[in-house]
Parts: sequence; structure tokens; C-alpha cells
Amino acid sequence: MSDGEVRLAVPAQPGYLRMTRLLAAGVASRVGFTLDEVDDLRIAIDELCFALVGPGGRDGTITVRYTFIDGGLVVEGEGHFADGGHDTPLLSPLSMQILGAVADECTLEPGIEGPTFRLVKRRREE
Amino acid sequence: MSAEATDPNGREELRRKFEAYAQTRDQAIRDVLVTAHMGLAEYLARRFTNRGEPLDDLMQVASLGLLKAVDRFDPERGLEFSTYATPTIVGELKRHFRDKGWAVRVPRRVQELHLRLGAVVSQLTQDLGRSPTIPEIAQSATVSEEEVVEAIEAGQAYRFTSLDASGSGEDESSLADQLGNEDQGLIDSEHRVALSPLIARCPPRERMILHLRFFEGLTQSEIANRLGISQMHVSRLLARSLAQLREASTEEDQP
Repeated sequence: MSDGEVRLAVPAQPGYLRMTRLLAAGVASRVGFTLDEVDDLRIAIDELCFALVGPGGRDGTITVRYTFIDGGLVVEGEGHFADGGHDTPLLSPLSMQILGAVADECTLEPGIEGPTFRLVKRRREE
Repeated sequence: MSAEATDPNGREELRRKFEAYAQTRDQAIRDVLVTAHMGLAEYLARRFTNRGEPLDDLMQVASLGLLKAVDRFDPERGLEFSTYATPTIVGELKRHFRDKGWAVRVPRRVQELHLRLGAVVSQLTQDLGRSPTIPEIAQSATVSEEEVVEAIEAGQAYRFTSLDASGSGEDESSLADQLGNEDQGLIDSEHRVALSPLIARCPPRERMILHLRFFEGLTQSEIANRLGISQMHVSRLLARSLAQLREASTEEDQP
């Protein structure tokens, strides 16, 4: 798989998370993920993007970057919020349990314009 | 409409069973009564299939209504069971649509493809001995990969406006009875309860799927195989449960 990346920027509203899931499925398809893995990736991205935007949405945008790596994908998300999103809550224990099951690596950290996440999902060995 | 209306002997037999169940609350009798009227539940579920929900989901909802009706039916009052049960089942189906609509307008062709892919994925999983990739699904269904992506996303398009959908305690016991003891043990894991009391409020089947996927680490295909339902159905139930948990935790966070 050659290196490359796909980017998406959407308003920081829950209604736009569907776009990030759709693109995730499209990109995962190129990497040869199975349907199980595609669904895992979508669950992970949905969980993390929701952590960024929150139930009521935020004033600003989120960008999501999908990078092809050998045998998988890295997905990086960034909040660009008017207020910097410093009040973004940490992931709940349940969210961490879910992410632990569907992603290979996953972090969520505060950033300058808003929180950022990084997620790695690899193909399962046959 | 149902078998009892056309078969006087069966009808009398069922009436006796209803009387016996009213007195003994014997679960074996209840199973017979529920099975005997599954045709009514299916008939009513099918009347709602033009609204964009898969029939297997609707059947689940209608069966729940049927269970309620069997439990509450009083044969002493002289009503036909089907007369009594129909509004209960229809009410359950309507509540389902009130609580869970498609969040975005999903075009009919996408809904239809979504439903068709359920069988395609199951067949491929069996043939390949693993979960299929999107190109494999596209080729088998003779549609484009983009269409497959769109169709599988359609299964996630649920929206939750009410926690009501998590059901009452009464529904829980009814459904829990349908699950095996081993699985019942699984869903009672203290691990899960400690992490989220919210999961405990999900219906038993959803609770079990959440547990198997996120705590036991089974894949969606493995869960599908274990429960005898399609991977696409597991995917939908997971998406729905996660949306529901999110809704619930958001409400709990409100001051």
C-alpha cells in the first residue's frame, strides 16, 4: 500500500459525524479491511469525534485526516474551536473500554485550538 | 388473521392454555402461546416495512408486544386474544418509530441494498471463513464499492430522542427468558456493571452484544454466529446501543 492521506473538514456538530464515518468506511475499503474491521473503525471514529464535538456541538470545525500505513490506517482528528475547547471532558471509562476493543492505539489530548485524537487500526493477520 | 380464527379446535385448545397460563404463569405454556401467535406479530410487523426499518428489527419489536399481550391477557373477559393483542403490538411498533427514526433521510434504494447485503455478507462469511472486505461484498452483490459503503452506513442512521426505548423492567424479564443461562451469566458480569450502570438499562440482547464485543473481544461476525443472526444485524444493534448509551450519559450529565 502506497503512502497517502485523505482529509475531511466538517462543522463541529454531531450531525456531521456521519460524514466522518462514511469516509472512514470508504478509506478502510481501500486498505482491504474486512467488514468487521470497517465497523470497528467507524465505531472508534464516531466515539472520538463525538468526544470532540460533544452532544450540543461547538462553534468551529473538526478536521479528520486518514493516513495509509502498512497494513492499516492512522486517523488523526483536530478540533478548531472558537473557545479552544478547554472544557472538553476526558473520555469516560466506558468510552475507553469501547475504544480499547475496536482500535489498536488511541489517544485524546488537549491542543491549542481544541482537543486532538490519534487512532491506529491495523488489519488482523489472516 | 391468526391460526385461532380459522381453526375452532385449535382455538379452544389455545383458550384452555390461556386459562392455564393465567393461573400458573408456567413459562412453557407461555412459550406455546407466543409461538402460536407469532403469525399475528409478523403480519403486523410487515405492515410497517415500508418505513425503512428492516423486517427482523420490526419482528423483534412486534414479538415484544406479543409477549406483553400474552402476559396481560385475561381470558375471563371473553375477548379474542387477537383482538386484545393487536393494539398492544401495533402500539409497540408505533412507539418504536416514534423513538427511533432514521436520523437522515435514507433513500429507498439504499435501504433496499442495506437489507439485501445482510444475506450477501452472511453467505460470503460462510464461504470465506472470515468477514468479507468491501470489494468482495461489492463484487458479490454486483454493485459499486461506494454503494456498499453507503448501504452499510445506512444501518447506523438511527437517532434516539428518548431513553424510553431502553424498555421497562417487564420487557427485560420477558426477553431475558429467551436467552440461555450461559449468556445470562455473561451479561451479568460485574466488570460491565462497574463500568457503566447505563449498560444495565439496555435490553438483554443488546447488553449481551455490547458485552461480547467490548468486554470479551469477540468480532461482530463471531457474535453473529453465536447468536444466529446476521453480522449486519449485530452492526445495527451495536450502533443503536451505542447511540442509546450516549444519549443516556448525556442526559445524566445534565445538572
